[in-house]
Amino acid sequence: MNNQLKVLRAMRNWSQAELADRLDVSRQAVNAIETGKYDPSLPLAFKLARLFAMPIEEIFDDGFEGHRDDA
Amino acid sequence: MMVSKDTATMRETGEASGKRPGIGWPIAISLATIFLAAFVAGYLDGTAGAGHPIMPTPLGAGLVVLAGAVAMGLYLRRVGAFWRDWSRRKRLYWASLIGAGLIGALAATLLHSGRVEVGGDPFFSNSALSPTIAIILALLWIGGLAVTAFFYQRVIDDHEERAYLWAGLAGFYAFIIPAPAWWALARASILPPVDAMLLVLFAVIANAAVYFWLKFR
Repeated sequence: MNNQLKVLRAMRNWSQAELADRLDVSRQAVNAIETGKYDPSLPLAFKLARLFAMPIEEIFDDGFEGHRDDA
Repeated sequence: MMVSKDTATMRETGEASGKRPGIGWPIAISLATIFLAAFVAGYLDGTAGAGHPIMPTPLGAGLVVLAGAVAMGLYLRRVGAFWRDWSRRKRLYWASLIGAGLIGALAATLLHSGRVEVGGDPFFSNSALSPTIAIILALLWIGGLAVTAFFYQRVIDDHEERAYLWAGLAGFYAFIIPAPAWWALARASILPPVDAMLLVLFAVIANAAVYFWLKFR
């Protein structure tokens, strides 16, 4: 799953370790999410959305291009 | 989106954080303690063997270990601002890892010192142990592992939980697949009797390989 985490983090000039501290997860977790090796759980995705004050679907993209009703 | 209380309680790091302490001093203190304890134990054994005992070997080595613990405590106190700023989850996480490491080190020391037969490999052989050491080791393994695993599993993050669960499954397969096959072949005298500890070692290696791959790749 693609995501905007690296861009959002860079916009705030945060290191991976700083973001990890803000989310109370390990730096490896942030790195794995950014590189697409790991999709976060729903609670962590909500935590990210609250931290960046954005809807989850603006941070994560599952590649679905149809209408929402088609899902 | 409204900013919730959750966000408000997220830690604003970089403001109150202490400077990140290096890992050099803890390693230096640990290595110095281990080597000095071994040196003192060897020296005391030598003087006792020559008929001039100064003090019991365990007491001498124990005093060195105690001095090392005091040194480590003083160092941790000095850099306390850094780890006191950690979240409760992070502190418990590292406490559980360090606790497991200390239990492992203690078990290894007991395994080495509790042998009835001298010689051979102290960790993977089936050489005889003294009953006291064997009981302490069993209790340490069951109690220590249960307590540290309980805390560890409560405080790991999502990403590590996934690594831990898959690693656990890999370890399970590494045990459940070869064990019955070996047992059946041993009953037909095709293989020697099942060595449980060899299977445990194999399962632990499979577990560690998957854990480190998923956690650090």
